[in-house]
Amino acid sequence: MSEKEMSLYGEGVGFERIRRITGYLVGTIDRFNNAKRAEVSDRVKHGV
Amino acid sequence: MIFTVKKRDGREMPFNIEKISDAIIKAFRASGELDEQIKAAQAQMNLLGNDDLLTNVALKVAADAVGHLEADNKTKPDIEEIQDAVEKALTEGGYADTAKSYILYRAERTRVREVNTRLMQTLHDITFSSAKESDLKRENANIDGDTAMGTMLKYGSESAKHFYTMMMLKPEHSRAHLDGDIHIHDLDFYSLTMTCCQIDLIKLFRNGFNTGHGHLREPKDIRSYAALAAIAIQSNQNDQHGGQSVPNFDYAMANGVRITYRKAYLSNMVKALILLTGMEEGEILPVVKKLHSEMAEMGMVATLVPNEKFQETEIRELSKTYDAEIVNKAQSFAEKMAYEETDKTTFQAMEAFVHNLNSMHSRAGAQTPFSSINYGMCTEPEARMVMKNLLLTTEEGLGGGETAIFPIQIFRVKDGINLNPGDPNYDLFKLACRVSAKRLFPNFSFQDAPYNLQYYKPGHPETEISYMGCRTRVIGNNYDPSREISYGRGNLSFTSINLPRIAIKMKSVDLFFKELDRMLQLVSDQLMERFAVQSRRKVKNFPFLMGQGVWIDSDKLGWEDTVGEVIKHGTLSIGFIGLAETLVMLTGKHHGESDASQELGLKIIRHMREFCDKESKRLGLNFSLLATPAEGLSGRFVRMDKKKFGIIPGVTDRDYYTNSFHVPVYYKISAFKKLSLEAPYHALTNAGHISYVELDGDPTQNLEAFEKIVQHMAKVGIGYGSINHPVDRDPVCGFVGVIGDVCPRCGRSEGHAISCEKLEELRKKFPGMPAFKGIR
Repeated sequence: MSEKEMSLYGEGVGFERIRRITGYLVGTIDRFNNAKRAEVSDRVKHGV
Repeated sequence: MIFTVKKRDGREMPFNIEKISDAIIKAFRASGELDEQIKAAQAQMNLLGNDDLLTNVALKVAADAVGHLEADNKTKPDIEEIQDAVEKALTEGGYADTAKSYILYRAERTRVREVNTRLMQTLHDITFSSAKESDLKRENANIDGDTAMGTMLKYGSESAKHFYTMMMLKPEHSRAHLDGDIHIHDLDFYSLTMTCCQIDLIKLFRNGFNTGHGHLREPKDIRSYAALAAIAIQSNQNDQHGGQSVPNFDYAMANGVRITYRKAYLSNMVKALILLTGMEEGEILPVVKKLHSEMAEMGMVATLVPNEKFQETEIRELSKTYDAEIVNKAQSFAEKMAYEETDKTTFQAMEAFVHNLNSMHSRAGAQTPFSSINYGMCTEPEARMVMKNLLLTTEEGLGGGETAIFPIQIFRVKDGINLNPGDPNYDLFKLACRVSAKRLFPNFSFQDAPYNLQYYKPGHPETEISYMGCRTRVIGNNYDPSREISYGRGNLSFTSINLPRIAIKMKSVDLFFKELDRMLQLVSDQLMERFAVQSRRKVKNFPFLMGQGVWIDSDKLGWEDTVGEVIKHGTLSIGFIGLAETLVMLTGKHHGESDASQELGLKIIRHMREFCDKESKRLGLNFSLLATPAEGLSGRFVRMDKKKFGIIPGVTDRDYYTNSFHVPVYYKISAFKKLSLEAPYHALTNAGHISYVELDGDPTQNLEAFEKIVQHMAKVGIGYGSINHPVDRDPVCGFVGVIGDVCPRCGRSEGHAISCEKLEELRKKFPGMPAFKGIR
């Protein structure tokens, strides 16, 4: 295996998930307080 | 014999009976029980100081207390045991009143101690836990609780809350807040400032302004307009704890575009003439410049959409100096080039504006300002250019393709202006939908909702409805009905009621309303208390908000004047949370499930609104009803109620109370039905409201449905709404969209690495990919 193939990137880097609370957007869910996290995970989609 | 005492912290200290008698002396002084005897003793023998009698009695009681302890074989008593013994000795000695005041003294000491311990415990948590494990540090998601400044802010904020609850609030308000009957929002700023303000940029820019650190001249092109807009928002944020909003972004920035175009037109006209005549710049520039300024004095200027009066006059006058054909050619060249340059400059200005608002710091550096901008109804070409470019740069995202968190953009929708095909700004509405489908912003506000339309006077942008991004709305003005505008006004403070708790405690609907009335009055009194504190603040306490005349009528005040009169234009708002849980408690069903519940829900909220209107009349101020945003609050009330009342299905069985009047997020319902059910509450909550719908998948693939939802919002009378959908991003390859377990672009799963070779390959297809660091 060549050296180049061995170099990897992204270990431990999560996905950013932007959500709206109280009209504001928030960078990623890990900044949410516990209650808001619970609310976000309970949200169901609304059919059109 | 007692030689040592166990202190509260566990340390053993030498026993000292005088410490006990000192406390007893204080209790006697408070009760006054020995006053008569002391007087008599004084009369009898003047030589003996009155204190001696007191000391003697106190020592005697202390000795009795020690006797009790020894009889109980307590040779190393702790503080509580000593205090119990003193109480007993006082009662047995016949000093009932003093025993009572000793108990009070003891309770007060305990309270102070507990508060101190609680404060120290809080500060300890802030210091030694990371935001990941501390809910306290994530109370507000837009503050990074892990940074030095974020932590310092938290120390200040928590200490201030302790101080105000102990020392400034009326005990009944403090108790109601601490017990969770009500929530006094932004308590840490209780005595300092008001919540938020709508900043009229046009007024602020006239003659320039001072940030407190230097004077800024009136801006001279769209780039400086946009830069100064960001600075104004930032400066005002340092005077208030709530959001900062611009109500007239389209109208204000249009002025910058006008100047930019004029300059670009002049410079291109000169360039064209240089090329076409072969003359030098030094010969041409003075001639054209002079002509333009003479024409400007007569009200003729070059405009983005060329006007005939200017065109004809310019050709006529310049043809006196240059060949007419050349002048004609130069004019069309200048028009075309100036338009393109202005468009490009405006895009760059808007791009910089958005970047600035996501990177400038306020509040001691802990966060970017809470910024919002309202726009959408100005149909002038310059304003349209601003809006188009703002939307385009928002669609593009920040440097790494990230979605901008600020400013919150609010697109104002109105029939006949932008809502329907054929409306002059319909193209911008469609673009707004497309951008919102990708970036979650803009949100949409609805000018035609009857409770917004009633204030609207065409030709008066200050009467257009403006929202703070979070939802706050200030337009009606009971204090001064001639000023029903949004500019320069904002919320003063707001306090929310724990509605579900009233329902849990009262159970029946009749009793619910009784208790609700009591709570409403309590909150009104508390808001008035705070208002009195705020009114005593002076202009100098708000160097930008008041010192630069941002707040309505503050320009009529001097540096040392109090702000009491001008803040009467602001609102005092009563908020609420958990209507859904309240209805479940009272009827067994929430308003998404049952028409009867919806009817009761509306009755409750209407009742609250009527109370606010009544208080406005009674006090000559602006009381309004708020559908509370409740970020920190969503968990606080339910945590307390769970402890108090246990788990009640559909009421306290989740980790949050449902936001204001929303149909619960977990309830399956169609987008249209949800909006129709929530719209009537918008009409009642005049301090602000917002409704969301959650869309599945990637709405950019179905813009028609997106647009239809916004149009439905307009139809059913929503005041302010937005559409949620997942916006995910992989920071490794920069993909933005919906990410399940695996990134659709690079194929890595969360936390996993991929080869740099693969990334380089992808970069050929997606040149905008973020650069990755630390790898060759």
